[in-house]
Amino acid sequence: MPYERAVCNFCGTGCGHLLQVEEGRVRGVYPLPGHPLSQGRLCVRGWHIHELLQTEERITSAFIRENGELRLVLLEQAISYTAERFRKLGGEEVAFLASPRASNEDNYLFGKFARAVVKSNNLSLSSDAGQEESAKVLLAGGGWPAATGSLSKLKQADFILVAGGDLTKQNPIIASEIHRARRAGALVVTVSPRKTQMARLSQVHLRPVPGTFSLVFEGLTRILYEEKKFQADYLEKCTENFEAFFKKLEQVDLGEVVARTGLSLEILTEVARKFYESKLTYAFYPTGVQSLDRKTMSALFNLMLFAGKLGQGAGGIIPVTGISNLLGSYDLGLSPVFLPGYLDASEEKNVKKLEELWQTPLSRKPGQSVSACLAENKSLRALVVVDHDEEIIRNVNRIKELELVVYFGAYHNNFASLAQVIIPRPSYAEAEGTYTNAERRVQLNRKKVDPPSEVRPLWKNLTELARALGHDWKYHTAEEIFSEIAKVVPQYSGLTYAQLDSHLGLKWPCDEKHPQGTDYLMLDEAGNKFRFVLDENVRPQPQALAEQKADFPFKLTVGRSNYFWHQNSLMKRTFIPKREYNALLLLYPKGFVEISEEDARRLQLREKQLVRIISESAEMILAVRISPDVLPGQLYVPYFIEDMIPEFLLRQVAELEKNEEFFLPVRLEKAG
Amino acid sequence: MYWLERHQLDNLVKKLTESYELFGPRRDKVSNEVIFDRLANPLELDLEAPIPYNPPKYILFPHYEEILRYRYDRQSKQVAIEKLSHLKPKALVGLRSCDLTGILCLDRFFLGQEFVDEVYLEHRKKLFLISNTCVRPFPQCFCVCTDSGPSAKEGFDLDLTRVGDRYLVEVGSKKGQNLVEELGLKEAGEEAAELKKKVVDESVSSFDAFALENKAWISRATNRLTTGFIKPEVWEYIGNQCFECGACSFVCPTCSCFNVEDVNRLDGTTDRIRTWDSCSFEGYTKMAGDHNPRKPVEDRRNKRFFCKLSYSQSKKYLRPGCVGCGRCARVCPGDIGLPNVVTYIRREITGD
Ligand code: SF4
Ligand code: SF4
Ligand code: SF4
Repeated sequence: MPYERAVCNFCGTGCGHLLQVEEGRVRGVYPLPGHPLSQGRLCVRGWHIHELLQTEERITSAFIRENGELRLVLLEQAISYTAERFRKLGGEEVAFLASPRASNEDNYLFGKFARAVVKSNNLSLSSDAGQEESAKVLLAGGGWPAATGSLSKLKQADFILVAGGDLTKQNPIIASEIHRARRAGALVVTVSPRKTQMARLSQVHLRPVPGTFSLVFEGLTRILYEEKKFQADYLEKCTENFEAFFKKLEQVDLGEVVARTGLSLEILTEVARKFYESKLTYAFYPTGVQSLDRKTMSALFNLMLFAGKLGQGAGGIIPVTGISNLLGSYDLGLSPVFLPGYLDASEEKNVKKLEELWQTPLSRKPGQSVSACLAENKSLRALVVVDHDEEIIRNVNRIKELELVVYFGAYHNNFASLAQVIIPRPSYAEAEGTYTNAERRVQLNRKKVDPPSEVRPLWKNLTELARALGHDWKYHTAEEIFSEIAKVVPQYSGLTYAQLDSHLGLKWPCDEKHPQGTDYLMLDEAGNKFRFVLDENVRPQPQALAEQKADFPFKLTVGRSNYFWHQNSLMKRTFIPKREYNALLLLYPKGFVEISEEDARRLQLREKQLVRIISESAEMILAVRISPDVLPGQLYVPYFIEDMIPEFLLRQVAELEKNEEFFLPVRLEKAG
Repeated sequence: MYWLERHQLDNLVKKLTESYELFGPRRDKVSNEVIFDRLANPLELDLEAPIPYNPPKYILFPHYEEILRYRYDRQSKQVAIEKLSHLKPKALVGLRSCDLTGILCLDRFFLGQEFVDEVYLEHRKKLFLISNTCVRPFPQCFCVCTDSGPSAKEGFDLDLTRVGDRYLVEVGSKKGQNLVEELGLKEAGEEAAELKKKVVDESVSSFDAFALENKAWISRATNRLTTGFIKPEVWEYIGNQCFECGACSFVCPTCSCFNVEDVNRLDGTTDRIRTWDSCSFEGYTKMAGDHNPRKPVEDRRNKRFFCKLSYSQSKKYLRPGCVGCGRCARVCPGDIGLPNVVTYIRREITGD
């Protein structure tokens, strides 16, 4: 039987697919109809994953750099060379950049290697902070760090709030589920400045001025408060700090909300009432790139809690992970703040417990994210990187100063060209492993084809490396690692490969109490108490303080579109998605800026005319694309490949991409 | 016609596997879904299974296929071309008649025009086709509206119709006749044709009760599409829902769009690759000038339904481009599979 069941490895939707395997190669892909979430649908990326899986443009052997040149070596040589270099490095001199696309098994051992072997807590995913902030907010409010609602019950929803991003592009099949729920009768309200396709598929589209997202949710809550649309006895019984929250609510000034968001009180009131009256209510926001900021996530959480939409049924908050195993990566503690299972890394008892489980002393020195290390940590000497999707690498000059960069990767990219050691990685079809999607569903991918001879799983190479460094690691299969994960991560404690094999994934927590996994969060899981997330200590975003200066009247936001996904480092190894990207590039070879019809008319701009975009610190030239998708006063630049990201954006991009709230004040002039 | 007893089915399959790779419907154990697949184990063949989620198209027109390999020699300035075809003969057993009709549509596209597609022909001429009458339709089916079922009329080597616990076998080719004789099947006598007609008639009349998902209004929609009397708002409504995934083309038994790419290989040769493509993609139609970013999407949608249902298109293929399998409705993230679109058009006509 050449069509074999597997899980798409592109985005956090984790759609089920069938890989057509012939003579040791993946020759085609087809949607798996019985999959509980995707139910036989795939997006354009998923429909072409076999093109990526067949590419010959990949790394198939190990390399060591000598005198500036990469030299092909045997895998064993690369391992012993790396071990030799590691012996001369101290714990926090090394930082570890993990991949949200790698399996739970690979990621778990990667974290364990950093913490237990190298004794470094400098461990993180790339710069996107959305998922981590989301986990923190949800933990603070309900003790449960991921999706509180159930996607399986979404079709019965009567109110769906979608905040930020464009799910039709980022996680198309989740967007499709939302669309189906709408067709079944739900009211879909999208909050985003741009008229995205998600917005077009919603009955109500709220377009707040960039930078005012959190005010929208605070305003909605305040309206409910004024209209006495809340259940005081429920709040009293089930929340810890409602009084403090009420005080905070009283400070919310609806006049200011209206003035700053640009939304009318009528529409806000109408939405607030419908929201309150709904029986099964969901809120979605993307995490990872283009997420919301912490303040907005908290405001949204508080709104849901205040209206009694949490912990009482299948509805809830669904943070949508943009990359296949982004959630799993956090579950396994690939973060300076979380140990595996979301245990607080700064608490002594948690570190002690991990020391016992791992039978080795761990460092108490607080870790930093890799981007923070590169920016601030002067004592950093080495970097270990696993498959990095982003073509843009920040702090390149700092990386060039490092003594050692080790890159475990499947494809050549900028990290590979900075690396002293390159060790190849298999594709997800060439190894066993589990992946955890946005709905907490842990899914097992069995190996479908053999990797090239010098390519073996990351966990295997890490095991060899750990052994070379004097740690008696004895992992022979991914399954053995998974059973260790089940011992370390409480949410995974009831999961086994055998069980995952006979299911199309199970949603964590899967433990003694929930042997078949858990569909959604009930109040008792939250210890019978929720807390409003007050975030007193959160630094106000610099944005909120920045006055829009008259010289820079436009608000520029950036984003990514369908095919230009993660800078295309994977897409460019396919045919169809790559071609689709080229189609737009042919029309706009230098990239484009979207501007509203009104502004274009006012400034007498034509389609494709070149304009200069000027910010306080830099400028760039782009072609005009007049679009009904942006509001007057706003500009939108999709950035997707390196060539299209002039110096201008590169400098700002870290800020801009963090979340929807950031914008850059700019002005626009005709060029030439 | 002949009778195939239940126990003779195994013989039939065994006989086929001597000279052919066996393909047919099987159930995936965990998801319980039906896949038209290569069957390493003939016992997996499930002739009672509902219409498979995938059409057999990929067997003749693979998702991804190297169609030739060449090497350019710089010195001699010569190109050495190698044909990459080492195809095995294949037997497709248990084809639903919509899917068999789909193959006939592909034949017309790849073989029936000015140029014969050699690669397709290579696949096609080595097939042994056994169709299987749908004695009861499945929820998604509307082949009665597209003249492609529930029973096959042409194109098969053998056609099976289940009657009680045995099958009536109709022979459609010399190859089929030989097999029937090799197996020593019993002739079914005079009443066979009448019996088969009865089964098929019953199936047709049960569409109202069982094929509930897609009440298509094909002929009226065909009229509308052909005359172009469909309001732009309807296309806008449809276009807004398109996620541009390509699925509707990929799962359609009759869609034949393809893309050709040359891929340089590490050993210095170049592979010419043919892959599935879809008219839903921007790059496929290279529509220029995108003042309204959604407008081209609408136009592309519009084009697909025109291709499937308009009269002019039907004339070219001697039948509608849609064979009523209902698959595009199930895979579409936007809920705009062909039957839904037909419903929108009907609503526009009837105003409800
Ligand atoms: S939605 Fe995500 S998981 Fe599903 S097919 Fe597309 S890329 Fe793959
Ligand atoms: S258009 Fe849809 S229903 Fe018609 S044959 Fe193609 S996939 Fe089947
Ligand atoms: S399946 Fe639906 S969403 Fe996908 S391209 Fe076809 S019409 Fe568009």
